[in-house]
Amino acid sequence: MELTQGKALSTVERLYQDYGFRARELKGQGEKIIGYVCSFVPLELIKASGAIPFRIRGNIFEPITKGDTLLETIVCPYYRSCFDLSVKDKYEFLSGVVIPHGCDSMVRSFSTWSYGLPYSYFHFVNIPTVCEESSFEFFEEELNTFRKSLEKFFGKTITDEELSRVIRIYNENREKVRALYELRKADPPLISGTELTMTLTAGSSLPIEEANDLFDQVVAEVKARGSSPLKKGPRILIDGACLDHIELIKLVEDLGGHVVADAICNGARDHFPKTDVTLPPIKALSQRYLDKVNCPKTYRANKAGTFEGDIANRFGDIGAYAKEFKAEGAILYVYKYCDPFGFEVPARKAYYQSLNLPMLHLEDIYSAGTMGQLRTRIQAFLEMIG
Amino acid sequence: MAEEQKEAKPKKRMTATKAAASIGPMVKEFITGTLQARAEGKQKLAYTFIVCHHEEIFRAMDVVPIWTENFAGICGAKRDAERFLQRAESLGLSRSLCTYALCGIGFDQWREELGQMPPDAPWGGMVKPDFMISSGQILCDPRSKWYQASQQFMPDVPIYNIDLPYPLFQRDQDHREVLGYYHRYIVKQLRGLVAFLEEQTKKKMDYDRLRELVDLSDRTWNLIEETYDLRKAIPCPMGTGDAMNTMVPINFMMATQKAYDFFVELKKELEEKIARGEGEVENEKYRLMWGGGLPSWFALTDFNYFNSKGASFPVETTYRMVAPLKEMDLPETKDPIEHLAWRWLGYWTFWYDKARKRPGSEPDVERLINRIEEYKIDGVVMHEAFSCRTWHVGLIWQLHQLAKIYKPIPVYVVGKDGKKEKVYRELPSLILESDIIDITSYSEVDTRNKIDAFIETLESIRMNRAA
Repeated sequence: MELTQGKALSTVERLYQDYGFRARELKGQGEKIIGYVCSFVPLELIKASGAIPFRIRGNIFEPITKGDTLLETIVCPYYRSCFDLSVKDKYEFLSGVVIPHGCDSMVRSFSTWSYGLPYSYFHFVNIPTVCEESSFEFFEEELNTFRKSLEKFFGKTITDEELSRVIRIYNENREKVRALYELRKADPPLISGTELTMTLTAGSSLPIEEANDLFDQVVAEVKARGSSPLKKGPRILIDGACLDHIELIKLVEDLGGHVVADAICNGARDHFPKTDVTLPPIKALSQRYLDKVNCPKTYRANKAGTFEGDIANRFGDIGAYAKEFKAEGAILYVYKYCDPFGFEVPARKAYYQSLNLPMLHLEDIYSAGTMGQLRTRIQAFLEMIG
Repeated sequence: MAEEQKEAKPKKRMTATKAAASIGPMVKEFITGTLQARAEGKQKLAYTFIVCHHEEIFRAMDVVPIWTENFAGICGAKRDAERFLQRAESLGLSRSLCTYALCGIGFDQWREELGQMPPDAPWGGMVKPDFMISSGQILCDPRSKWYQASQQFMPDVPIYNIDLPYPLFQRDQDHREVLGYYHRYIVKQLRGLVAFLEEQTKKKMDYDRLRELVDLSDRTWNLIEETYDLRKAIPCPMGTGDAMNTMVPINFMMATQKAYDFFVELKKELEEKIARGEGEVENEKYRLMWGGGLPSWFALTDFNYFNSKGASFPVETTYRMVAPLKEMDLPETKDPIEHLAWRWLGYWTFWYDKARKRPGSEPDVERLINRIEEYKIDGVVMHEAFSCRTWHVGLIWQLHQLAKIYKPIPVYVVGKDGKKEKVYRELPSLILESDIIDITSYSEVDTRNKIDAFIETLESIRMNRAA
């Protein structure tokens, strides 16, 4: 039986399919839209400056063409797609772009972005590689540099009061995402993985207040289903970097599985950690983005002294999600040329083994062209655990 | 596993200088030196990476560095990396990742599985370290991921990860505004390294010795600059092929008297060659710049192939990891750790001011422009190694920017006497594609066909100018 789609999910679908249309409208009304990539960009600062943060997306259906004339093909394919769309004016409504130190592809191509695109504002946020006292001090300074840069560009002072207010709005957003995830806990889930990823992706193209309203509406609409019309199937957790399209998840669900949890950038990694509102705002943001966003790019020292203890510390959040959402299998989905995730594959495999959770590792190139090959492998995996 | 077959032995590259020819035995000596140190058990050995400005700290603490990138490069140069790469792949690591790291992890896993060196390990192999010093920088993700991955096979070996950022060039930001807090952070990171080494070695840092070693490195930096500047001579006495050997004392032997003495000898040799009018090639027709990318260590004879066509490489950006200290205006300090941190920042921001003065420029592009002018370059060659994003992303764009200045049409410029001059500034470029150590990505025939076509272009430009 099909899932019914009401007004809220129809809006989600439109925002997902015509990604950026609302931002384009807002630009027409005089708003400033600032594009960003990666979970490391402190969106609260952009919002507090008066601008609207907009997550730049790739498109797996669009062949990379113009982007390849300026950027090497050894760059992460997801990031290449983001650049390709940008250089082809898909995001012409942006006033600027913020890129963090998320990986080598981002660092080394910053000049290509900042000289290759016509936006008047660019900023690079340097993210430390370690989590320790001195790195938090450094990161606070770096966040203040970002703050000053935004203030200069927009001609507006970002006060601590305003920043604290915005932090609370973003925390509300994270609570609403949590409410969406709660809908996955039923067996079969009340909301499909496809719907959830589509909703979060749509939300990343909206002003935060509009995203919050939309998420409330989706939660209400899905709850109104009462019980899930879906058939029971293997409950899957997706682990990996940024998955800003629904095709992989849809594939799993077309084959009878249900994506019920994740550890991906535009999923739990990005949306679950909240900012501590009891701390001064910049300090709180430095702790959230550096420590709580659990990205493999950040080196976390082995405090356990054993490999088993180390992986339990590094990937403990994944185990907790698997338990909370009763996952029966995991798909580790890694992009080719992604060094931060790529080097963790053996350790993540060992971790899933320690959880007795079957795992399928897929390396992919961010293209709709590979979905056929993935289908065969996913089908075999679901049959194995099913 | 069935991957234990070695590849065919490579041909040896001809060097232009005696100094470059002396490097092979030198590298072998410090690899065997690590084996000897392990056998004697008097010194601690540490895995680590080049270009971290921490050699002085290592040497002052008598810690023996095991340069893991160097060992992978040796495996590549000996065409004996494939069996280690395949080991890494069998663990679930993608071949698209840094192949230096894959080679090292594959080697580590094999050595730990056997409890001894893998069979016929190149130059005796890479010993198990006492600890590993990785580094998070603004570039090179594998540097903080490699040892963490290797630790799976040697969980008893601790890691200390130093963070060494520098401010990225941003058009709207004067880097001097942020240098203060970058410096404070790097100083704390380096002091953290000292504390870690003190704990591991049970020794206290001798700061007088550290100061002496920092001074020795500074003098070596300046000497390298003076030595490499000699390559501006026409004909050029030493090319990039040789520089891929002389990078060894720069990157693996810094803070040693031996490195300093090496450059004293090299400088003398180059001066003598210049006095004799002796070039890298007999009849120098084209002066090329190696404008980016690490070399294919298994195919260094390609440089000889360029030479056979009359092409010399007076300059490269790769592995010239020093800059003239006297031009850096580093703040005075008696604290050697503080100086190391300033030198680190001075090096990475060296081209920022110059780049800011030229619209559309950027530090990497500015460096290329300066080298092109100073070394009278006729063409640029780059290498895109598929497995390394650190050094190989951004090269295409840099060539685009260069093409805006060095156009294929004659342009008029104001000469020294104030008169307009018609000049030809066309600068063709060639991008070679392969890898640092993965020989499966390389085709000698294709590479040399590309070189032939490039030489034809250079010749055609030369003939047009002559006409």
